Amino acid sequence: MSDEEHHFESKADAGASKTYPQQAGTIRKNGYIVIKGRPCKVVEVSTSKTGKHGHAKCHFVGIDIFTAKKLEDIVPSSHNCDVPHVNRTDYQLIDISEDGFVSLLTESGDTKDDLRLPTDESLLKQIKDGFAEGKDLVVSVMSAMGEEQICALKDIGPK
Amino acid sequence: MQGFSDGITGADLAQLQSTMHTIEVACTSIQMQINPTAAEATILSLSQSPQRYKACQFILENSQMANARFQAAAAIQDAAIREWGFLSTEDRISLISFCLCFVMQRASSPEGYVQAKVSSVAAQLMKRGWLDFTAAEKEMFFYQVNQALLGAHGVDVQFIGVNFLESLVSEFSPSTSSAMGLPREFHEQCRTSLELNYLKTFYRWARDAALSVTNKIIESDAAIPEVKVCTAALRLMLQILNWEFRHDTNSMKAGINVFSAGVRRPECVLVQPGPAWCDVLISSGHVGWLLSLYAALRQKFCHEGYWLDCPIAVSARKLIVQFCSLTGTIFPSDNGKMLENHLLQLLSGILQWIEPPDAVSKAIEEGKSESEMHDGCRALLSIATVTTPFVFDQLLKAIRPFGTLTLLSTLMCEVVKVLMTNNTDEETWSWEARDILLDTWTILLVPLDGNGGDAFLPREGKQAAANLFAMIIESELKVASASVANDDGDSDYLQASISAMDGRLISYALIARGAIDVTIPLLTRLFSERFERLHQGRGIIDPTETLEELYSLLLITGHVLADEGDGETPLVPSAIQTHFVDIIEADKHPVVVLSGSIIRFAEQSMDPEVRATVFSPRLMEAVIWFLARWSHTYLMPFEEAANCHLSHDYEHQHQSIHSRKSLLSFFGEHNQGKIVLNIIVHISMMTLMSYPGEKDLQGLTCHHLLHTLVRRKNICYQLVSLDSWHDLANAFTNEKSLFLLSSANQRSLAQTLVLSASGLRNSEASNQYVQGLMVHMTTYLVELSNKKDLKSVAQQPDIIMSVSCLLERLRGAASAAGPRTQRAIYEIGISIMNPVLLLLEVYKHESAVIYLLLKFIVEWVDGQISYLEAQETASVIDFCMRLLQLYSSHNIGKISISLSSTLISEAKTEKYKDLRALLQLLSSLCSKDLVDFSSDSDEVAGTNIAQVVFFGLHIVTPLISLELLKYPKLCHDYFFLLSHILEVYPETLPQLNSEAFAHILGTLDFGLHHQDLEVVNMCLGALKALASYHYRETCAGKTGLGSHAAGQGNLPEGIFSQFLRSLLQLLLFEDYSPDLVSAAADALLPLILCEQELYQRLGNELIERQANSTLKSRLANALHSLTSSNHLSSTLDRVNYQRFRKNLNSFLMEVRGFLRTM
Repeated sequence: MSDEEHHFESKADAGASKTYPQQAGTIRKNGYIVIKGRPCKVVEVSTSKTGKHGHAKCHFVGIDIFTAKKLEDIVPSSHNCDVPHVNRTDYQLIDISEDGFVSLLTESGDTKDDLRLPTDESLLKQIKDGFAEGKDLVVSVMSAMGEEQICALKDIGPK
Repeated sequence: MQGFSDGITGADLAQLQSTMHTIEVACTSIQMQINPTAAEATILSLSQSPQRYKACQFILENSQMANARFQAAAAIQDAAIREWGFLSTEDRISLISFCLCFVMQRASSPEGYVQAKVSSVAAQLMKRGWLDFTAAEKEMFFYQVNQALLGAHGVDVQFIGVNFLESLVSEFSPSTSSAMGLPREFHEQCRTSLELNYLKTFYRWARDAALSVTNKIIESDAAIPEVKVCTAALRLMLQILNWEFRHDTNSMKAGINVFSAGVRRPECVLVQPGPAWCDVLISSGHVGWLLSLYAALRQKFCHEGYWLDCPIAVSARKLIVQFCSLTGTIFPSDNGKMLENHLLQLLSGILQWIEPPDAVSKAIEEGKSESEMHDGCRALLSIATVTTPFVFDQLLKAIRPFGTLTLLSTLMCEVVKVLMTNNTDEETWSWEARDILLDTWTILLVPLDGNGGDAFLPREGKQAAANLFAMIIESELKVASASVANDDGDSDYLQASISAMDGRLISYALIARGAIDVTIPLLTRLFSERFERLHQGRGIIDPTETLEELYSLLLITGHVLADEGDGETPLVPSAIQTHFVDIIEADKHPVVVLSGSIIRFAEQSMDPEVRATVFSPRLMEAVIWFLARWSHTYLMPFEEAANCHLSHDYEHQHQSIHSRKSLLSFFGEHNQGKIVLNIIVHISMMTLMSYPGEKDLQGLTCHHLLHTLVRRKNICYQLVSLDSWHDLANAFTNEKSLFLLSSANQRSLAQTLVLSASGLRNSEASNQYVQGLMVHMTTYLVELSNKKDLKSVAQQPDIIMSVSCLLERLRGAASAAGPRTQRAIYEIGISIMNPVLLLLEVYKHESAVIYLLLKFIVEWVDGQISYLEAQETASVIDFCMRLLQLYSSHNIGKISISLSSTLISEAKTEKYKDLRALLQLLSSLCSKDLVDFSSDSDEVAGTNIAQVVFFGLHIVTPLISLELLKYPKLCHDYFFLLSHILEVYPETLPQLNSEAFAHILGTLDFGLHHQDLEVVNMCLGALKALASYHYRETCAGKTGLGSHAAGQGNLPEGIFSQFLRSLLQLLLFEDYSPDLVSAAADALLPLILCEQELYQRLGNELIERQANSTLKSRLANALHSLTSSNHLSSTLDRVNYQRFRKNLNSFLMEVRGFLRTM
């Protein structure tokens, strides 16, 4: 139960290991898993046996956390799977630019301007509407395996 | 009423014809699927049109379209049931006789469904007026029916008559009656009246109708119309015999044993009509007639129009089977002579259906219908239900050289043989036959007296049981080894296969116990053959078939040797206790030999090499399951139980006692018990560590085997002294492989280990042990939360996994807290309070971890709260409030954004689960006021729980949207908590701010209109509490709910006004279950008292809205008597509530019928 073998750096998504190995049997619903090179959220796990007197295997159904595509995988439950390092950071939303980028305020007071808005109409609308109403919005940005995306929006309200 | 036969003027006629046309068009358009909603509305409006009865009767008599006639009949039914109260007696009678005449006159009509509908309308109306009609009026109807049944008007009318009685009987039988909006007592009274006064007469009429056509049927070779009458009459007789007779007060098996009731299938209903029926059913030669009728029919099966499954044959057979269930006081107390004769008569008729078994089964395999054979089996089942095994066996001896048990055994062997040869997954005839016959055995062998004494089988019967068991085993083994080839993975889980087979396995066990001295050695031999085979063929032959056979054998043997505890400690089955009397040395006892050989086999799994080749995960599952079941009964049994049980019955059999004692003590504490326990712990540890990823196997080990062990105190004493148990505890804290167990297993293992602390000397030792077990985990969490870079470290997958794992373990440990270990668990919780809050912060986006955190806290608070002293309570409550605030600040106003609808709905579900946990937390806090073990009784420093819980609710409610309340469990928890709080602490409600207050009341209103009965009930309870609190307070000159009640700002009406309106609206105009009326009355009374003015106004409005003057006065009277009759006063005591309940009930009956429709 010690963690000295893991190295981490303060900037979460740069340099730190992108995935970790974990035994298939321990991955549960609502956890994360890499299927076919994509980071997924597990929405269904079932186990079965290979042959009557064989060993257990796990059947995972995952949803790509960035593209929402459904992916499936079968792994013997004693083998290791890759689990993505999913990081989430909150930023205050400062501005939405015309060209589809957002401007975010980091904790240290810098701005982060390299994040695109989602292309999906309804998601875009949710963000834009909230911003247009003049609420104080905090966005959570989810990053994993070199990609990042806005995953949640929170109205911290006028204090 | 507008009598139909009155002269119809021309204008009327035109009007009626146009109505008929409209209805016909609507019927067609429904059939053609053209604008069906509008058509439906048209048809529905028929029952509310001004000339409804006239129009319907006109359509029935004149329409050419059967469907339109059907709808007209339905409309009559609808309208008459609704308006029954204001129809005059003549109108009522004329409606019923119209229906009766209509069906009789058109008896030969080809549209049977219209006839059936009209018939059932007549039956329903007759029941509606049953208690009002005079005997003469009823007599008039029944005279008509009787004439029809006598055959005076021809076969068709005869058939219609029988048909009408069928509808009538089913209308009066509670399980098939239709709802009439009347209280249950009405149905009960009708039922009793029919049973006492008419049922037997109906039966006689049906019998006479059947008798009148019997000769014609027997003489004729072809199918004739009389067959229809006979079939209907047989069906009616069957229906009457299916009646649930109540008035046979002193029936024989009245007190059906609660322990065996579960085993009895509902299909073998006992027929207990009581002594009055003896003449009709028994002494008149009725059964003889029935049997000869069927025998005659059998001869005709080669003719045209008759076959084995033709309706008349099916009805006759069903009736015969029903006669086999006849029992109770209908038979005089003559030592069962008459019953035996009756059954023998039936049995000799039935024998032809099932004898000789091999020929019967061959014929069915060649294509004959199996229904006769199945009915034969059912008849045996029924006979078994009404007799003892001894009488059952003797029956056949009168006419055969062998007993009925032997017949049963041969018959079933034959069925099992067929099952064995064509082993498919489809449900064949042999499946069903086997299930019926197994039920028969179960009925015969299940102990009836409930004190565990197994039914006694005659010697010949024992032989029959032994033969059958050998056959069953052979077949099961064959099925097992054959199943290896067709491997369809998923359906093969142990739990699934046990529960699928469970009914069967229990019956197998009963059969085996019937001949225990033969079957135990048989099982021992079968096991040793297979062990031998595995041993010799290791590495040479593929063992899979043998493994599968062992799997089956383990399941069967587990059932034979021991019973399922169902939470109790099962005793050694009495068949095993009372047999084997000649065994002197314990280690030669057959049960010991069998158990020993299985345990030794299981022990071989410790050898890695053997494990790899023999002990597949599946076999291991069966081994673990067997060990759990076996050890529950045999391992270190309670000494007292061993000594006292049965001793008064068998005192004279010294030898028997000796043998039983030697069996029971063999695996006791002072003998082999400790050794076996040690082996079991070693095996458990091995399955947890050496079968990585085998969740099912590990689940069985944790939840089933280990759990069984620590539930028994005397085993715990031994466990804590075993080195192997300490090894397990050590491995739990240090071994990496145990961190890989699945979450539920983690939790269960932690719980088990903490529970075993009850075996230690005193609470000091117990607390120390628990602390030692958990200290690593709390230290880890504290260190982690103290890290400076916690935020980034925490999100690493491996850290998430460790944290989740530890939280599961803590939750398991918290749930095992008992008086002895409470201190240690409390300290664990206190030491990680701050880490928990920090983790709640850093994992706010990681819903899976948040849920675990909350669940741990819920479990911990639930286990601790009642023990805590005032100071401790305050700090725990403070912590909970901080937790709630933090959670709420993270989640209010948060929107998840994702492309995937699955992920969005997952996010909702997670939120729902969190909230449910929080509500549970508040409920546990509430319980502090009810159950409190703390030492300081004075409330000086005590926290005000009510305030705290309200404050908590304040934080949580904004998160509970009406959307989320659609989750039934959350909804249930929420309203449970809400109604509890409102009932117990209504005085704190005014302290809420207006937003929270409005929210709570909004949800209450939502709950009032919920579909779930219990939710509505809880809301009504809450409402009652609120209103009565306010009323009492204001009466005492206080403010009560103050401004909330008076209405303020944007709410011009106070809350009670709103709820009064809403509740009245619900009661008068909406659909609800009649069971709610009492609860609604309890809520309505205080509401009315609080808002008397408004109530008056609403009442007047209701009356004004009524256009019809008769109805107007009716409504006014009803409203008046609602609040004035029964000496209702304006106090809120028990008596007054009860009076108001009565008033409301009669009020609703009086007015709801017309208020809802007009």
